[in-house]
Amino acid sequence: MAMAAAYGERALAAPVDLNHTGHYVHWGVVQISVANLVVIGLMVLVFAAAVLLPFPKGRGRR
Amino acid sequence: MKPLSRRAAEPESAAFPTRPYDLLKEFTVALVAVALLTAGLAALFSSPDDKPVTLAAWSAAAPNDFTATAVAELGATSTTAQYGPPYNDTPGAGQRIGPLGLQRAAGVRIPVDTAEDFVLRPLRQAPEPADVTAALAAWSAAPTDQQQMWTAAYSDALGKAPDGDPAQVAHGDYGPVPVLTGRLLTLAQAGGLDGQLLAQGHFYQTDYTKPLLFLADGTYLAGLADGQHLSGDQWGMMNETGNYPGQAWLWLYTFWYQVDPFKTSTNADALIWALMAVLSLGLVLVPFIPGVRSVPRWTKVYRLIWRDHYRQQR
Repeated sequence: MAMAAAYGERALAAPVDLNHTGHYVHWGVVQISVANLVVIGLMVLVFAAAVLLPFPKGRGRR
Repeated sequence: MKPLSRRAAEPESAAFPTRPYDLLKEFTVALVAVALLTAGLAALFSSPDDKPVTLAAWSAAAPNDFTATAVAELGATSTTAQYGPPYNDTPGAGQRIGPLGLQRAAGVRIPVDTAEDFVLRPLRQAPEPADVTAALAAWSAAPTDQQQMWTAAYSDALGKAPDGDPAQVAHGDYGPVPVLTGRLLTLAQAGGLDGQLLAQGHFYQTDYTKPLLFLADGTYLAGLADGQHLSGDQWGMMNETGNYPGQAWLWLYTFWYQVDPFKTSTNADALIWALMAVLSLGLVLVPFIPGVRSVPRWTKVYRLIWRDHYRQQR
């Protein structure tokens, strides 16, 4: 029973476990977590893509 | 009639170039994409799962810190006891913006008597051993000066004892304080104090104000917060437990806490709130602020977005 519960817990667990000590970058007065840096980087990428990628055109129209 | 400005007259809007655009389609695509992304990321990373910090957990993990804090609550020398509004009416307490005492103006809306609410009432409500009944009676019968002398003497003695261990405190006149705080520790370790501080007469208990204030008066919770980079001087407002991303959009709010004069000010919360209110107002009023409102014209990002249109115009 306990083994089945443990197996079920493992099967339902997230493939990437982020519940461990965080990593932080220190730069002078600035302290920021690597996770926040990644999210900010992704937001900058999405913004750049939104500006640079061509606007989709309607089929058969201009 | 003379024109009011020299700006070139704008063409009629009907003369602007147009393009077909399916707003409903974009809304649907965005909704489905975000829903799939949310479900996918939740399945991949799950969510922060830190165990709650309770009075029971604190009293078991750091009993000496719990006892020292209970003595401070009893003697009304803790941070909560001297915080001022909204918890109590401590003279001179409360943050202000210049002459404006915002905290005092709001008044005492959540009255907290730390000795009564955190120590004496829970002891009275729990089944009392005879020595606790006698200690409670002795405490109630003593004048305030005497009560404060007992708590101050016991607090000093705890500070001098190895690791602040109550069992190793030097003999002295502490009145009923060691019995009261010793019983409170037992009650907390058994888990009873969490329930008693939550008891608000509601079926669902969602008001954690009192246990949280008690917890925050000790050093245990602050130590845990420091370990997770959640303290104010660690940009904690924008962090999350573990390796999860936090509230990155609060970077400017928490930034001010890291620099002078806010870093060392006792009015930092009020001053930073006012500064952010002014900056937010500035953001709302961007179209009316000369210079700032011209930034899009100087950076010309709009020409990049509408590059097809400007290419055709050339």
